[in-house]
Amino acid sequence: MFLSKIWLFLVALAAAVALTVALVLPQPASRALAKEEQQRLVVACTVVDVLLGVDARNRVELAGAFARRDEIVSALEQASGLASIDEARMKAVRDVGESVMKTIEGDRKPTFAMLIDRKGRVVARVGIDSKDFGDVVAGRPLVDDALAGYLRDDVWAHNGTMYFVSAAPVIKRDPPVPYVGAIVLGHAVTSDLSKRLVGSLAVDLGFYLGKDAVVGSRTLTVDQAPMLGVISKATGEDLRADCSASPLLPVTNGKENYTAVVARLPGEVQAKQGYYAVFIKRPEAIGFAGMLGKITKGDISAPSLWILAGGGFVLMLGLGIVFMFLESDRPLKRLTADAVRLAKGETEKLAEDAHAGKYGSIARSVNIHIDKVGRDAKNAKKDLDQLLGPAPEGSLGTIDLLATALPAVRPGGAAPAAAPPPSDFRFNDGGGARSAPPRPPTPPPVRATPPSGVATPPPRPTGSLVATTPPPSPSSSLGDALVDDILGGGNSGPTSSNVPEDPYFKEIYEQFVSTKKDCGEPTSGLTFAKFAEKLVRNREDLIAKTGCKEVKFTVYVKDGKAALKATPVKDEA
Amino acid sequence: MPKRLAVVVFGSLIAAANVAGAGTVIGKLELPSAPERPPSGTRGFLDRVENPLAPARRLAVTAEMIVVLEGAKPSAPGQVTWELVGDSFARRVVGVPLGAEVVIKNVTRNTARTLVAAEDPKLIPAGPINPTGSKSFRPAAAGQVFTVGDKDAPHLKGVLVVVDSPYVANVDDNGKFEIDNVAEGSYKLRVFYKNAWLDVTTDVTVGKGKTEVNPKVPALPVAPGKK
Repeated sequence: MFLSKIWLFLVALAAAVALTVALVLPQPASRALAKEEQQRLVVACTVVDVLLGVDARNRVELAGAFARRDEIVSALEQASGLASIDEARMKAVRDVGESVMKTIEGDRKPTFAMLIDRKGRVVARVGIDSKDFGDVVAGRPLVDDALAGYLRDDVWAHNGTMYFVSAAPVIKRDPPVPYVGAIVLGHAVTSDLSKRLVGSLAVDLGFYLGKDAVVGSRTLTVDQAPMLGVISKATGEDLRADCSASPLLPVTNGKENYTAVVARLPGEVQAKQGYYAVFIKRPEAIGFAGMLGKITKGDISAPSLWILAGGGFVLMLGLGIVFMFLESDRPLKRLTADAVRLAKGETEKLAEDAHAGKYGSIARSVNIHIDKVGRDAKNAKKDLDQLLGPAPEGSLGTIDLLATALPAVRPGGAAPAAAPPPSDFRFNDGGGARSAPPRPPTPPPVRATPPSGVATPPPRPTGSLVATTPPPSPSSSLGDALVDDILGGGNSGPTSSNVPEDPYFKEIYEQFVSTKKDCGEPTSGLTFAKFAEKLVRNREDLIAKTGCKEVKFTVYVKDGKAALKATPVKDEA
Repeated sequence: MPKRLAVVVFGSLIAAANVAGAGTVIGKLELPSAPERPPSGTRGFLDRVENPLAPARRLAVTAEMIVVLEGAKPSAPGQVTWELVGDSFARRVVGVPLGAEVVIKNVTRNTARTLVAAEDPKLIPAGPINPTGSKSFRPAAAGQVFTVGDKDAPHLKGVLVVVDSPYVANVDDNGKFEIDNVAEGSYKLRVFYKNAWLDVTTDVTVGKGKTEVNPKVPALPVAPGKK
């Protein structure tokens, strides 16, 4: 059983390890996935920053092209020479601006344009606040730079809308190449722009002005306080480093969990805590159940997987069966066969050494009990000898005396109130209340007149370790039986000269000798005189002690040896 | 917007300056070569790029410069109007005689501004100055410099200098200035630039008629900008 137990232990251990791996392994995988997602978020933020720079470059180029248009140069040159800007001038310049705006198509088309003269006055606006003019916008860094001859970009906020603006100086190309003004183009930051920026990144983008959400690629209702906190604490001058320097923030949008990274926006909106945030959906914790849920057909369709799993199962099952056969089935069969041999009388004891482990222990226990029964039988014989007198001992072997009927009143004492039950002997009899199995058919006892020949020994119940005394004779009028075994072996009986030549005894003698020969027992020391003498003495004893009138003797085989039993008969039928 | 080349004379605002025997002080500052325009305080996603057609214009330092004749107390300071013309003041630096009333007038048509002096938040009456509206106040002590701005428009900055003199003038793009109705006497001419007094002190004796003075201005400090 050792290997079977070890195998069971190993299988259990393997199952425990497999279960532990199944439960634990998703956790580091989940962490690794989350870390990868965070890295992807930072990369996405950096890409957004780069794309915003590219977009700014395109817008600045657009502003430069806008400012180089001859009609723009001419209109602003004329306006710069005026002491004040009137409405007629404003409309004329605005028409020029609108005509140029119409030439710009698609996403490049600005939301608004401001045409500014050399003094910093807004001569006309196109797109937004188109009726306002004359105010001075010089002073704004973008405008000041443009009036000074620089092209640049900026980020403005106006009425809750964020604008990416670009500006270029307007220069008359004729000598002495004077500056005549500047133009400012503004592109509103819209949801479409946000979607374009993150279209291929599989993240979301939002633009914020302090506590206010301006616009985003998707409507995300998140707690902005942590993001604004990061922006408030950001002090580095290099805004490009924000994506990698900012901490990753867990945020929620309803039931959806996101990780966010924030980066400051440059330009004027920086003073208003303008920033953008890139969001990525946080991967769900995988777990064992989650991992099972993620399994696809493709994962389990690999033939090698099933070959491996099936082979492992068959191998484990085969080893388990082999170990069970070697350590359980085969020893049990061996013990069973040994027990059958014991039951058949082919052996007197179980072969203890032939059985290993627990089975050997069982065999030893059985043998111990057999020895005990033997001792009990000897003790019983002694008791019967005390009752009936010493049994003839000699070379007769075992003599059983069966009294089929006892007198109602025994000489010297009262008869028992109830007949005692047939004496049974069983191995492993767990309790006396257990009923005896059905008796095998009992051969009729050998009668004196006429003799019926050699009595057939009662068949042994195969496969059962039950030794049953011969049943009482059917002729018994009392129905009670008393079985006693008398072991012969001594020569203390009367001399042969006193034994009459009784033909019944002769017949019994011949049956007995024949049976002994059949059982392979020696018969050299067995003479009819001794045999008859023992029968006479036992018959007399039984008649004297039971009050019967006749005694019948029966030859049978017990434990592979010839035996003889005497049956007192009250009345001769 | 008034032309910056014109000399702005505060004497016209001061009744006490219209005295008999008054003269006029004219002059031109000998300015160092104008510094290049430093990078502005803000930048976009990109650094600014100089246009390929014409050299970039140098910094107009005189727009942030005033001259003051010290030596006379303002007896009737009167009123100084400071115009807010949009995203900037008409004069980025304004000199105010001690005791004069400062009136900030928003001449724009559509933008309200809430101005606060950084050095004294209570100097300017609280609340926005609506388009075409105004707010007035009176600085209490000479020598004070106030930086006035709007927190919603960080680029909007103006400097108000309180001087213990009735004779204050702005400087045009060429460095010229003119102060009318100056009483005869001896004065010291000082120059204020951006946010501090320059180390320029010139003695001026004013008589009847015009008195010309051409003080030399040393190298100007340029506030470091952000690249």
